[in-house]
Amino acid sequence: MPTPYAAAPAAAPPRLVRPLAGRQVAGVCAGLAEHLGVPVRVIRLIMLVLLAMGPGVVAYVLLWALTPEVEATPGKPGAPGEQRSLFDGPMLVIAGAVVAFVGVAWLAQRSGVDLRLGVLLPLLVIAVGTVIGLSQLDAARRTRWLAGSGWQTAARLGLGVIVTAGGILALVTRDAPISQTWDIIVAVIVVLIGAGLLVAPWGVRVLAELRAEQAARARADERADMAAHLHDSVLQTLALIQRQSGDSARVATLARAQERELRAWLYGGGAAEASNLSGALAEVIGEVEAAHGIPVDLVMTGDREMDDGTQALVRAVREALANAVRHGRPPVSVYVEAGPTGVEAFIRDHGPGLDMEVIPEDRLGVRESIIGRMTRHGGAASSRRLDPGTEWSLTLPPPQGVTP
Amino acid sequence: MTGTPASPPAEPVRVVVVDDHRMFRTGVKAELEEVAGDRIDIIGEAPDVDTAIAVIRRDLPDVVLLDVHLPGGNGRGGVDVLAGCVAVDSRRGRPVRFLALSVSDAAEDVIAVIRAGARGYVTKTITGTDLANAVCRVADGDAVFSPRLAGFVLDAFGAAAGEIAEVDEELDRLSQREREVMRLIARGYQYKEVAKELFISIKTVETHVSSVLRKLQLSSRHELTAWAMGRKLV
Repeated sequence: MPTPYAAAPAAAPPRLVRPLAGRQVAGVCAGLAEHLGVPVRVIRLIMLVLLAMGPGVVAYVLLWALTPEVEATPGKPGAPGEQRSLFDGPMLVIAGAVVAFVGVAWLAQRSGVDLRLGVLLPLLVIAVGTVIGLSQLDAARRTRWLAGSGWQTAARLGLGVIVTAGGILALVTRDAPISQTWDIIVAVIVVLIGAGLLVAPWGVRVLAELRAEQAARARADERADMAAHLHDSVLQTLALIQRQSGDSARVATLARAQERELRAWLYGGGAAEASNLSGALAEVIGEVEAAHGIPVDLVMTGDREMDDGTQALVRAVREALANAVRHGRPPVSVYVEAGPTGVEAFIRDHGPGLDMEVIPEDRLGVRESIIGRMTRHGGAASSRRLDPGTEWSLTLPPPQGVTP
Repeated sequence: MTGTPASPPAEPVRVVVVDDHRMFRTGVKAELEEVAGDRIDIIGEAPDVDTAIAVIRRDLPDVVLLDVHLPGGNGRGGVDVLAGCVAVDSRRGRPVRFLALSVSDAAEDVIAVIRAGARGYVTKTITGTDLANAVCRVADGDAVFSPRLAGFVLDAFGAAAGEIAEVDEELDRLSQREREVMRLIARGYQYKEVAKELFISIKTVETHVSSVLRKLQLSSRHELTAWAMGRKLV
């Protein structure tokens, strides 16, 4: 990649890795191209020639096994998307290679060149079987594999084993008479089972260790995440509280705000979105609490998408709450019920009470912001005195187009 | 708050506090002794599930203030304590009552302890006076619903969406009257105020609340059972 700055230090060649994006089979050619700074088409062509000649197979498999796999940096040519959908997985490529090989071999045989197909074909079958089987071990699928995603993995592994075993059989029984074939089949199966028995315990242990390691890493990540959050929020608030410990109202406000935030983080789970009535109300209540230092309890049943009506309702609730915390006394509580028959909201305080008759006409807050606003949106608002305190009750009809 | 119980008991209510935070236990003790020293007597405390069960079975209190999240037992916290104290009677010969006390508002925590047998659920930010009243109410066999619990009940029984039981006995829905009572509690009304508002006696309000509690414990409604199943309670 050319750098736009002339003075920039000469960039070291990128590390040899196998990118996830832009790969055809296992990302070996793409990785090589990246590392050597050669167009990937050239590398692929060279690799194909080498593969056809024989030694390329060894080189390819070794590179595949020894090169670590890394997500490609975004913005590189030949990166994700359409290529992936065009060639869905390495299987299609393998199938194409086999067909091409068979065609070339057939042509060569016709033109009188002895390819010793008796040996070559079984070898090819073995190679294909190994690739199918080992493709499961590719790190790209390791997570899915570790999570134990069932039958597909097992089926592929089984298919690989069967194809490989078939290839070995074909190679070994090439010139033997039928009578000996069964002996050889049995011998091959016994050897495969023996090898499997030897490898299995080790494999199981490695698998278990990998799982444990992965779980430990997930836990560590979570702990780090939590520590970061607690540091940013709780520790900062505690420090503030220590410094302002003389001012009890301020301390209570800080503690309350922190509690709400932590609660949203612990139990929220993304439910409190401002695009919903519940989220918008929680936000407004948070603002009122922070501004006045008086706790407000919100109880909400049901929910509704935000629209013009609920927007007006939220503003009216805010105004009523501001009145409650200014003129009333705590506890201040808000109950909102959203159902098919509309939304009802109740805002209550325990102060000396607010009398509609004695509210001067010019008190724009109550008349306009609460009653006027609700009426304009087809709803209603009224307040009444309780033994201690005042309760506002706001109603809003269901959104238009929805029959109650 | 003026909602003292209708008839103060002749002898103080014997209470055990179960919470894994020593600071919180000390705080609750001090607060209850200050505001209701004559009505409430804290006789013991416990920091975990196993100690709690041992203390409750030994001292036979009237009321247990129970934290929802506790170490020990089978890892289910307060629910394990409730399971370990089934059919234990207090010295007065009445069942030991449990009042859940938690910092959590999560619905599954509420449903877990209520279905396991707690008579009420309040959050730890409750004032000392309110807590004392709640303890006395639970000691008398009544249920204690915080506004938040009432809101949750309305939600879980679909009452907010207009579902109303045809007959009172139906377990999966609230009756009209129960819904009204729950709505008023959710609006922050004391039992006394609920009674005045609906022109019924406080005793009737208590009956309705207890009946809602029973439905909450016995209902097989989908939302309730789904949570309970998630916690392997059913």
